[in-house]
Amino acid sequence: MLEVSGLRKAFDGAEILKGVDLSIDRGDVLAVLGPSGGGKTTLLRCLNFLEQADAGVMTFLGERMDMSAMSRRDIAAYRRHTAFVFQNFNLFSNKTALQNVTEGLIVARKMPRGEAEDRAIAALDRVGLADKKDAYPSHLSGGQQQRVAIARAVAGQPDVIFLDEPTSALDPELIGGVLDVIQSLAEDGMTMIVVTHEIGFARRVSTRVLFMEEGRALACQETAAFFEEQKLERIRMFLRSLNRKDDGI
Amino acid sequence: MSERVINILVTSFPRILGQGILVTIPLTVLSFALALVIAVICAMIQIADVKGLKQLVRFYIWIIRGTPLLVQLYLVYFGLPDLGIMLPAFPCAVAVFALNEGAYCAETVRAAIEAVPKGQMEAGYCVGMSYVQIMRRIVLPQAFRTAFPPLSNSLISMVKDTSLAANITVMEMFMETQRVAGRTYEHLALYSEVAVIYLLFCTVITWLQRMGERKLSSMNGGDVIHA
Ligand SMILES: Nc1ncnc2c1ncn2[C@@H]1O[C@H](COP(=O)(O)OP(=O)(O)OP(=O)(O)O)[C@@H](O)[C@H]1O
Ligand SMILES: [Mg+2]
Repeated sequence: MLEVSGLRKAFDGAEILKGVDLSIDRGDVLAVLGPSGGGKTTLLRCLNFLEQADAGVMTFLGERMDMSAMSRRDIAAYRRHTAFVFQNFNLFSNKTALQNVTEGLIVARKMPRGEAEDRAIAALDRVGLADKKDAYPSHLSGGQQQRVAIARAVAGQPDVIFLDEPTSALDPELIGGVLDVIQSLAEDGMTMIVVTHEIGFARRVSTRVLFMEEGRALACQETAAFFEEQKLERIRMFLRSLNRKDDGI
Repeated sequence: MSERVINILVTSFPRILGQGILVTIPLTVLSFALALVIAVICAMIQIADVKGLKQLVRFYIWIIRGTPLLVQLYLVYFGLPDLGIMLPAFPCAVAVFALNEGAYCAETVRAAIEAVPKGQMEAGYCVGMSYVQIMRRIVLPQAFRTAFPPLSNSLISMVKDTSLAANITVMEMFMETQRVAGRTYEHLALYSEVAVIYLLFCTVITWLQRMGERKLSSMNGGDVIHA
């Protein structure tokens, strides 16, 4: 459904993405793993054109696009099929939870208000926050804000959702609730690309894993194969170091 | 206080207040409304980085902030007629006050827009909104909340600055007071009187500002930053 090849991106002459390839099918959950600074966020931002790639070809729903030469209109059309969940939520701070979800539907998609609100309440209900619909973001906990952000993403009925470390800005006790919501989306067959440092979650929920380091995709393979039969010493080392951290050192 | 002074104060009060209501307030309101329009346009030009226009805006702000308001009033009212441009006193005062305050408020508005986190814009794009839609519905309302206290300050300054219009024959409160004082020589009493009326006007604005801030804060989730 989504295929990218030769994705390159440089900031001020420093190449951050050095030709990344990836591909996912409908219903896949692709976990993007790798050490800090490897270019995971940059990859996700390029995939939703928050950054303009220097090179790369994307095939999405059968349509081929040159990622370095997208017009504003092309990008807008593409974004009707995608949604983005940010590390720090980025809820509209002057809008209530409900308005955060309806805003895009009403303003960008010209949906009648009543229909948009019904859909938004259903989305909020699904993340367990229907009772907070009239709360402003400043009155919600980080975990609740991120769940509203996920409701906002889901309400647009996207073909794919990009999530950039959706739980790493959260206090430990709030992480579980957000991961549960993402897992339930995965179980319903939502296609997602999730950058995460939660290895257990990646192992449990993802269908494929992309391992990024220094701007390259060292591996893009089935989750089971990635964890059980890892051939690359570099990745085995990375996983071992995480296990050690989990053991509480 | 002699009976004569009290008499003068009592008879002059409605006349001075009248000029305040008929001239000072309209002059302030008109000028400030125009100044806000100028400020938002200038701020948007600078933020959207419109080529050519941006330099023009910087130049305008540089000129206005670097010269005294009184000199600007004289230049336009007494100077421009030399070029054949003759404006009646009141429109001339409105134009100068608006251009002057617009330059200051442009910086306030620009800073307030820039203080809105970049993620708000990005989240807007990701739900499919356009630049203009995000600006209007997300960024500007948040910026307005930040800009509201400093803009209220500017409005209070402007109420008092309109007294300078007396210099170009605009018959506002202060000029009316000068006239009565010129006739009666009761300078202390009369200038105190007009000072009290200015104070009254500014107190009302301060009070409105409080109400406005409370309203804005309740519309935005309550975490308003008090300046
Ligand atoms: N807008 C930018 N301008 C310049 N350099 C940038 C920009 N964005 C990212 N970088 C650089 O690109 C590199 C990769 O950053 P990126 O945020 O994509 O890594 P990451 O894999 O998401 O890391 P983390 O796990 O810490 O989030 C970093 O060295 C960063 O400094
Ligand atoms: Mg990152």
